[in-house]
Order: sequence, then structure tokens, then C-alpha cells
Amino acid sequence: MKLDLDQLRELIRLLDESNLTEIEVEQDDDRIRVRRDPVAVASQAVAPTAVVGSTHASGAPAPEDDDGNYLTTPFVGTFYRAPSPESDAFVEVGDSITPGQVLCIVEAMKLMNEIESEVAGTIVEILVENGKPVEYGDRLFRIETT
Amino acid sequence: MFEKVLIANRGEIALRVIRTCRELGLRTVAVHSEVDADALHTRLADEAICIGPADPTRSYLHIPAIIAAAEITGADAVHPGYGFLSENPEFAETCAQCGLEFIGPLPEQMRRWGDKVSARALAKSLGLPTIEGTELVEDVEDAVKKAEALGFPVLLKASGGGGGRGMHILQSKEELRAIFETARAESRAAFGNDALYFETFIERPRHIEFQILGDKHGNIQVLGERECSIQRRHQKILEEAPSVAVSDEARSDMSATIRRVMGEAGYISAGTLEFLLDDRGELTFLEMNPRIQVEHPVTELVMGVDLVAEQIRIADGQELALPERPLSPRGHAIECRINAEDPDTFAPSPGTITELHMAGGTGVRVDSGVYGGGRVPPNYDPLIAKLIVHAPTRAQAIAKMRRALSETLIGGIRTNIPLHQRILAHPAFEEGRFSTRFLDEL
Repeated sequence: MKLDLDQLRELIRLLDESNLTEIEVEQDDDRIRVRRDPVAVASQAVAPTAVVGSTHASGAPAPEDDDGNYLTTPFVGTFYRAPSPESDAFVEVGDSITPGQVLCIVEAMKLMNEIESEVAGTIVEILVENGKPVEYGDRLFRIETT
Repeated sequence: MFEKVLIANRGEIALRVIRTCRELGLRTVAVHSEVDADALHTRLADEAICIGPADPTRSYLHIPAIIAAAEITGADAVHPGYGFLSENPEFAETCAQCGLEFIGPLPEQMRRWGDKVSARALAKSLGLPTIEGTELVEDVEDAVKKAEALGFPVLLKASGGGGGRGMHILQSKEELRAIFETARAESRAAFGNDALYFETFIERPRHIEFQILGDKHGNIQVLGERECSIQRRHQKILEEAPSVAVSDEARSDMSATIRRVMGEAGYISAGTLEFLLDDRGELTFLEMNPRIQVEHPVTELVMGVDLVAEQIRIADGQELALPERPLSPRGHAIECRINAEDPDTFAPSPGTITELHMAGGTGVRVDSGVYGGGRVPPNYDPLIAKLIVHAPTRAQAIAKMRRALSETLIGGIRTNIPLHQRILAHPAFEEGRFSTRFLDEL
């Protein structure tokens, strides 16, 4: 069967509205399966918290070559600059930011963790490429505070 | 077979697992906290991921961070080591839900054996000689009734306790009445659970444990016993295999019983059944540890197996290669746990290791998690290395261990090496006459 996008959308909508984890449709020799990752259920214990890390927030003394404020990630996971592949990035270099503003997402266990800024300032540098893995404490943005 | 194993642990056991993975051609991922960025396991794994700050509840015990590390590195299996998350059924379940093979027992087996009262009941129902004990007690009157029925002296234990904490030896009901509420409050404070029960108190027992392996096809292999009576505050310090107090006949009888019982229980992976051995030579079951143990190397040396490799093969679904006749121990092995602590006060001694020279030569094995110039952080267990020797006889193993300890040099921090030297020089130890009280009476 040719992949009918409308059919597929319909299946995804059905799955979304149900509490099923999987829908499989079989027609002649063809099969489409839409699956929700069960991990999303398991990870509910992990509240999607938005935490900001800066070199100062961690309480660690700033290294000597430190020439600014950094937003570091409090999560291990995958770094995303936008809420979805089609959307614009949350921020670009040169943008002014305010405390509480979402700067990026770190995805872990299928959970989108929004990372907010704790400070007001300007984005000077974006240090990680979209879609790349990050470790706990990795620097994500350099911010000039105002 | 899976291809990349994440090791959810640190220190010597993380290295131990990395080494076997490498020999089996598996890639490895270390996870580490911020203070372990330069630790040996971090350096020796193929990849290393920082998962959180020094506080273990936010790193080595933090399930989402460990799973996320497996996701971003593409690991397909997890080895939990011992301690940390190794006996946490939720962790094993989460691994399975995320498509990661957990190298260990099934979550329901951890639950079944993790609760001491229910583990004892299960063992008893399967026909294992089990230490006499009571159900959980309700209040002080119920406690007096249950203790008298069992017969003084009794051991009052916290259901949530472990590692020897939360225990009281009671000689009479007056003593019981005097301490009951305090013990209950202690248990609530230490374990978040004030459930208490009694066990028969055995005056001078030996601590003997049997190593088992179970595969996914219902086969059980029993790999002899370990002698773990040399303990301080119920923490093992020095272990041996085999035990001088277990005859070939007793070993073979108990191995046959365990093989049947654990087969009926359908146990999978490596596990240890702990027993007390009384002065009449009776073994009574105490508890079951569903994981690899610190002292596993003494069994490896006398039985000629790699227990971590066996765990990995079992997780992969392979059948145990069972020998035609049960294995019997070859020679004698001793392990000394080298802790970063003051040998007299037992206060932890973290810091930077300025010099490090570990013993070598024939029959000496070192499982260590440290290096010269490296730091022993104050945040974790003080075990920094295990010195293990193997020789044809017990006397030769003792001589070899004395020699190995004498050439071990660890500078910059204090260690319990002098304590080990005192133990190995003691005539009662040499003659094999000792109980779990040995160190208290030293």
C-alpha cells in the first residue's frame, strides 16, 4: 500500500486520543504500525523541571579564563534549540533575554525539559549544535548579563 | 549479543566490568559524577558521560540521568555492579521499558528476595534450612510474646535494615522492654520504616555464603562457598574461598539443596545465599543477595570462572555450560578489602593518593579503582582496592597475602592495611578458628 499521509495522521490522532501504546493496521500484505514509546509513561516520575544553570548557580568558582555567564545543562540528553523541527529557534545570537525565558530543550527519556534563563542579558554564543548530545554541566550558551 | 554496555557504577567494580566487556569485544560506556571526572573508570571506558553532581542521589542513583546517558551513547545493555541501583527493581524495569538489557535478575526476583522476612519464608517453603524468626511485631507486648516464643537470646532486627545496621542482641524480656521504643524510633529514622522482627541469636557463628548462577533456561549452577566471618560492625573486611569450616560433604549437600531450591524459584543471573554456620556445623539461611558481590573474585580464582562474563552470557540468553560433575574448589583464595580509612578509628580518609604501588607476582590479583595522583572523593564508599591472592593451600595463601600486603604502598591517604596485617598475623586466624566476633575480640 502506498503510504497515505492522511491515513497516517488519522492513526496518530487515534493513538493520541486513546490510552493505547500501539495501533497496527494490516491490509493485504502491507502493514502500518504506530507506536507510542512506553518510556513516556515510565518517566512521569521525572517532573519536567526547568532549571537554569550558570557557572554561578552551581556554586562552583568561575574559572579564570571565564569571560562571561554560561548557561549549563542540568540534564544529560539531547540538545534542541527549537520546540519542534519546524519551529523557529527559541533564541539566536544577539537576542535579548529575560529571566524565566526558555532558551532550549534537553530531551531525556522522551521528556522535553525546557531550560530557562535565570538572568537578563544577551546571547553572545551558542555552544552546542542542534540535536547533539549533552552531558550534565555542559555549557550551552554564553550570555552577557545586563 | 548486545554491543555496548553502560556500567551504572564507579570505582573498582566499574573497572571490573569494563575489563570483562573489553575481553568479550563489547564497547563500554562509563557514567560519572562531577567529582569522578578523572576517575579510573571514567578514563578506561570507551566513552564517559557526566550524569550529575557528586551527590549520588543526583548522579549514580538518578535513574533518568543514567537512562539518558544510555540513549545518547546508543548503549544496549546496563550492568549495575553492586550497591547503588543494583537491587532496585524500578531501575531494572525502566531499563527493560527503554529497550536496554539489564544484566542481572528480573525485577520480580529482586522484590521477592529483597524483603528479608518474605525471603526467609520463601526459602523455608522451598525446603532450605532457615534461621528461626518471627513475623513483624506489632507493639511491645506483641514483641515480648514473640520473643519468648522464639526463646532468648534473640536478635531484634529492622525489616528495612541492611549492612548490619539496625540490630540489637537481647538476653531477656526486661532488656527488650527497655529498648523497644528506641529501636523502633532508630529504625524509622535510619530506614524510613519502623517494622521490626526477631531472629534466633547465634552466639559465635561463621558467615558462610554460596555463589550461584542461574540462566534463562532454568539451569542453576552452585559455585561453592565463601568464608566472610572477618567483619567489623557486620561489614566484611576479608574473605576466603573455600571455608575451612565447610567439609566437602557439607558443600556438596548444600550445593545440591540450593540447586534444587533456586531452580524451583527460577532464579536468573548471579546471586549469593548467605548462611550462618553454628558451632554444631549447621548452616541456616539468612538472606539472598540478587547481584554480583564485592568478594566475588575469591570464587572466580578457586572455581576458574569469570562471574561477570557469565552474567553477560546469561543476559544474552545463552545456556550455562554446566560441568558433568559439580565444580570443586581448586586451591585457596583470600581477598583483603583495602579501604581509605584510619586503621584504628575507622574514620574515612579521603584525599589525593600521592604514591601508589600495588603488589604483583604470581597468584596476586588487584581489582582497584584508583591511581597515583588520583583523588579519593569523600562522597562514596571507602573501598579503593581489593587485593586477592590464590595459592595451592590456605597456609600458602596466607603467606602470599602477607607478602603482597608488605609490598603495597598507598601514600597520601590512610588505609586499613595495618588492620589486615594484624588479622593475618593472628594465630587464631592462621588456625582457622574464628567467628564473626573475631575483630571485636582482637
